[in-house]
This record gives sequence, structure tokens and C-alpha cells, in this order.
Amino acid sequence: MKIRFRILAALALLPLALPAQEAPTITIRKTDSIALAVQPVAGAGGETVTSVLRNDLAVSGWFSMGDAGAASYVVSGTMSGGGLSGVVKDRAGGVVLSKSYSGTPRAMAHAFADDIVETVAGQTGIASTHIAFVATRTGKKEIYLADYDGANVRQITNDGVISVAPALSPDGRKLAYTGYQSGYADIYLVDIITGARNRIVKFPGTNSGAAFSPDGGRIACTISKDGNPELYVVAANGSGAKRLTRTRGVESSPSWSPDGSEIVFSSDEGGNPRLFRISSGGGTPRPVSTGHSFCTEPSWSPDGRKIAFTVRNNGIAVTDLSSGSTRIVASSGEDPVWGADSRHLIYSTGSALMLLDAQTGKSTPIVTGLGKVSEPTWSR
Amino acid sequence: MKQLFLFGFAVCTAVALSACGGKKSGEEYVGVDGDYVTGMPLPDRVDGANFFGGTVNRSQFEPVYFPYDGFTVSDSELIKLETVAASLKNMSNDIIIAGFTDERGTEEYNRGLGERRAQAVREQLIAMGISGNRIQTVSFGEEMPADPGSGEAAWARNRRAEFGVIK
Repeated sequence: MKIRFRILAALALLPLALPAQEAPTITIRKTDSIALAVQPVAGAGGETVTSVLRNDLAVSGWFSMGDAGAASYVVSGTMSGGGLSGVVKDRAGGVVLSKSYSGTPRAMAHAFADDIVETVAGQTGIASTHIAFVATRTGKKEIYLADYDGANVRQITNDGVISVAPALSPDGRKLAYTGYQSGYADIYLVDIITGARNRIVKFPGTNSGAAFSPDGGRIACTISKDGNPELYVVAANGSGAKRLTRTRGVESSPSWSPDGSEIVFSSDEGGNPRLFRISSGGGTPRPVSTGHSFCTEPSWSPDGRKIAFTVRNNGIAVTDLSSGSTRIVASSGEDPVWGADSRHLIYSTGSALMLLDAQTGKSTPIVTGLGKVSEPTWSR
Repeated sequence: MKQLFLFGFAVCTAVALSACGGKKSGEEYVGVDGDYVTGMPLPDRVDGANFFGGTVNRSQFEPVYFPYDGFTVSDSELIKLETVAASLKNMSNDIIIAGFTDERGTEEYNRGLGERRAQAVREQLIAMGISGNRIQTVSFGEEMPADPGSGEAAWARNRRAEFGVIK
């Protein structure tokens, strides 16, 4: 009953978030609500694992959480020797997943949740991913790192100037960002594991807006050395800058297609900023039709089908590339970025980072209390 | 190669007052290596010249202001640039032009827009006879506002390009 109510509530809210002339493209499929029960995990640290696991599975969007009696699958686990043994059984009692985990309680719960999402729902999990973002907690803009659910926040830069535009590599091990230590905007690369940092793009003018290719080997960014902010691709160590665009306007905020063959970006060549796509090897940019006239900060979904972006004064929109339809998924906010599941977006409201289920429209604050927060990036 | 480059510069100079600072012009200029060059390439940076640092004088010239989401230098602002150009002809210092935006819009787009504003001012100074090799640019986007407030008056004061004379 509760599940049915939730689905009805989600459907009832949808038309409010959509412009009248656009048909809703959201469908609530049966697979969206696989009935799942998580039994309390026994042993030392079991409480943390249980609550993190339940939250991960509820947030994933693929399950409805309930009692074991009504569940299609039952999740159980035992803590021993600091490790977690996790088991998932189907209604008939058959074991569909049995695996051991080590690490912190939170990390073990996240890993178990991702395995459940993959095994039971056949989807890519987001529970073990990380995010980076800009916050003004210290009075200056610095880069912070956190788990996808906002836990384990830690400050990555302490430059005391302006550190912005973070980009996590897909594997989450490297962070590129724009820093002003030299007095100019340069792109820096940080090894998250070792802390080593290098200034990798430092041409005259402004160097900013790094975006890693899906294989982590290349970075797209904006460089203005030739007398205009243009889109470039460099190697992940900053070498071999290759210019992609030649305009009089402002090219910014690139995002790669999942196969690395194309890049979507914002350009105000010809008036207001709009979205364009270009081959990552160069060529002629093609406009992305969105129906909106002021579009910036695009993010290409890992499944290749959708582009999320900011519409000035209208919030967050998603364009479906195959149907060409665009819908507003949040009525305010900026800088959306897709998660590995191509279902969730993280975006900024200014005072908070929100985790949005773009299928249901449900939005949850994950980072608050750090001053102004902006420009989230998400590992995959 | 150099001739092509100079040709591009000459074309840019010739149309600078009417089009170089504009936004909707579709004109492009044939330049280095037969590539389309839309502005004058920037010179190498001056090491240690930080726009907000102690070696840069930021109070010598008036800021140039811009319309909402635009980078066209208006006629009233061009008069300020003539003063700047006249002074630069009587001194040998290099300068840094810093571009800024108001707080509206996304941060990275504003970084690009601020840089475009700085470059539009640079193009005008080049058209007025100042060597492009003396002029660096930097964008702070919506950071470092002249007026930390919100509203039309504050935004108008923040959409600007400032001049820093490297001592």
C-alpha cells in the first residue's frame, strides 16, 4: 500500500514540473520497484552497515523497501573479524548473491549495495562513487571531496585564493581543477591517493573547465591563448593541446560522450549560450536542439542517451537525444552532473548539493552547511 | 606564414571599431597556418605578475563596463579606452586586463565570458595602435565582485574589465 502510494505521489507531481507543451517521457516500470527487505546486520558495526545499506538501496530507485514477508528478495549480513559477509536470497530461499567485504563499515555497505543493484536490478550502482565540489566554508573557494551521499567530506585544496571547476577522473583517483595561485587561471591535476599536485595547463590567458574523457586519458577544457576562449583537448598530463573550435564567442563546460568520440559544450557564438556537439578529434560543431535559449554546463549521461544542463532562470533540464524531447527536472539549481547509473543527477542550489532521481523527480540534500556550494563533479 | 598573420591582424584592425568587440558577427579571420584566428594570440605571461598582487597597479585606469551577457564595448566606454591607449603610448609598461561578470549564470560560463570581455578590450586597444604583446588577459568570472551586493545596480558595477599596470 505504501509503495503504491509513493508511485502515485510521484506520478501526481510530475505534470507540475513539466512545461505544458511537452509530453512526459517518464514511465514507471515494474522493475523500478523490486520489493526488497534488508534484515539488521548482526555483529560489531552492524548498525552502521544496516543503515548505510538501507539508504543506498532506497536511494538507488530500483527497489521498494519493506518487510521480509512481502519481499521478492531478502538481504542479510553478518559482521565478523571486521569484515562483512553479505547474502541475498530470493523468495524461494535461493541464494542469488553471497560475498565477503572488507574496509570501513560505510565502504563495505556501499560495495554490497552496488553488488545488489547489479545482481538483482541489473543496473550500475552509484553507492561506491565519490563527488568533488567547490565550497566557501573557509571564506575562500576551495575544492572538497565526499562520498556520493555527502558523507566523509574532506578538503582537498587549501590554496587561499580561488580554486574552482573540479573534475574527477572516471575512476575517482585524479582531480583536475582551476586554480589562481599564479594570478591567472590554470588547470591543476591532483593525485587523490598521494596528494601530488601539478600545474598542467598554463597558457597565457585563462585555462579552465577541465573534463576527463571516459578512459581518463584526455582532458577537454577552455583555453584563450589564441585571443578567444576556445575548446581544446589535451592529454591527461596537459601536453599536446589541440584546438577544436574557431569562433568569436565563448566556448565552455565540455562533457564527453561515453565512447569518447564526441564532446558536448556550451557556446554563445551567435547570441545566447546554447549546446553544441563536436567530434573529439575536431570538426564542425552541430547544435543540440533543446528548445531553450540559455543553456550552459551540459553533462552527457554514461548511457549516451541524455544530456542534462542548466537553463538560466529555469533550473535543470534533460534532453533525450533519441527522441529530441526536453524536460525540466528541477525548477531551480545549476551545474547538473550524471551519476554512473544515468538515472541520478547531482546539482547545486547554492546553499546545498542535491541528489536528484531524474526518473521520479525526488530530490535529497546531500551536502549542506559548508557555505556556498557549487560545481559538483561525480566519479563513475 | 608571417604575412598571413599580419593580414589577419590588418583585417581585424580595420573592422575592429565596428565588429571586433561585437557578439553576433559571423566574421572570422584567416591567420596563422591558414587556421581561423579570431583574435590576436596572447604574449607569454610576465612571471610573478599577479593582477591582485603588489606588483600591479590597478588604480591608474577606469574600468570598462558591459551590458548583460554581452562583451561589446559600447561607444561611451570606448572613450575611456582612448584615454588608456593615449597613456600606454607614453609608457613602456605591460598591462593585464581582467574580465569580470555579474553573479547570474553558471560559474564556468562566466569565466569564459569574463575572458571574452578582457579580450574584447584588448582587441580595441590593439586597434588603437597598442601592441598586443604588451597586453595580457585574465578572467575572474563572477569572483572578486566590485560590489558584493545583488540587484541591477550591483550587477552593472560588476560586469567590467579592469586594467592592471605591471610595475
